[in-house]
Amino acid sequence: MERTRRIVPMARKDELVIQEVSGETLVYDLKSHEAHCLNQTAALVWKHCDGRLTVAQVMERLERELKSPVSQEVVWLALDQLEKSDLLEKGARPLAGYAPVSRRALIRSLGIATAVAVPLVTSIVAPTAAQTGSKCGGVGASCGGMNPECCKGLVCDGSCFDPAG
Amino acid sequence: MDKIDRLGWAGGMSLTAYGVRVGVRVNDAAMLDAIRSYLPVGWKPSPVSVVERLYSLIHGGAGERPGVRRFNLLYGDIVRLARTTDLEEMLEMFESDLQLHVAEAARRRVFIHAGVVGWKGRAILIPGRSLSGKTTLVAALVRLGATYYSDEYAVMDKSGRVHPFPKPLQIREGASTKQTKHSVEEFGGRVGHRPLPVGLIISSRYRSGARWRPRPLSTGQGMLELLANTVSARRNPRAALSALQQAASGAQTLKGERGEAANAAHAILKRLEE
Repeated sequence: MERTRRIVPMARKDELVIQEVSGETLVYDLKSHEAHCLNQTAALVWKHCDGRLTVAQVMERLERELKSPVSQEVVWLALDQLEKSDLLEKGARPLAGYAPVSRRALIRSLGIATAVAVPLVTSIVAPTAAQTGSKCGGVGASCGGMNPECCKGLVCDGSCFDPAG
Repeated sequence: MDKIDRLGWAGGMSLTAYGVRVGVRVNDAAMLDAIRSYLPVGWKPSPVSVVERLYSLIHGGAGERPGVRRFNLLYGDIVRLARTTDLEEMLEMFESDLQLHVAEAARRRVFIHAGVVGWKGRAILIPGRSLSGKTTLVAALVRLGATYYSDEYAVMDKSGRVHPFPKPLQIREGASTKQTKHSVEEFGGRVGHRPLPVGLIISSRYRSGARWRPRPLSTGQGMLELLANTVSARRNPRAALSALQQAASGAQTLKGERGEAANAAHAILKRLEE
């Protein structure tokens, strides 16, 4: 509890595009081109990470807004996911050394009925235009991994090139 | 001036599609007619000479010696995109790259790589990459009476409504990557004309023998499914997210593996009627 009093997490706000939708929050990271969907609980925790409120105070706010008791583990799990998604300010990272319970373990301990209130951050990497295309990559196009295969006659070496020069 | 600009060009044209200006030049004037069927839906000739992207098509034709063919070459600006003796292959590459460029650079529309059909005034979106089986599912839905909008792109306006992009369906033969074009009329279908609000987003992948038992996703997760297939996601994420929010807010999103397209298609249409 002592530790909880000292920690004041702060949400990152720079280079993000934020869109709220039906209680969830969509965040697009202009630096990494990752997009994150924060469910209601994760979004509320993130909203209260203002660099002034302690984890205990965030928990109180959450209880007030959700109108139900909230376990401290819920806040820690949200902070852990937000940190992994690079949505907390680096200077204010409080979580090193803290091992939050997993989402699955939390659902098990709180009961399935509370699963909706368990924080969840779902992430994707936004595709490049070429990655969304259904055809092959031309000379210079990225290939391998999620990228399309090179067109006939071209060879993949990170990007497609023409072995004939 | 780049080397390619010094080559002799026999003809050229400017066009606009979805507000994007594109130029095409050819070394064989007869090719200007041939490329028309490879241009994007809704293209218009344009009088402007300043374009955002210039395609150069070099028709190899017959070589000087009997039995020798020269390569057909395709350039996008100064980058070589194709070098092939198969003219059809080069034209398909031209079509694909041009469509992708227009999809990424379009100013008032957001392009999502997806199949789209209309059903009872709502659009069903099937976002997915190559080989995810979206064209097969689109064809199955059309056979059941859905209106055809696209098997390639969901073209969305800022209010989240989906506009038709009715290219012929491109169906792969077996496991080949080669596609053949089929008109929607071959499936007994018809093309939709008016923009539709999105009713259902289907995120599915074909797996032989799988039963269609999808799980519902939240609105935000539905937006992520669409964003993962949005061509301009990186170029203009603000506009993309705004349009996707409008689209997903009034829609259900279902995710799961599917087996045969015909079985899943029945269940999908039924879902939209509930």
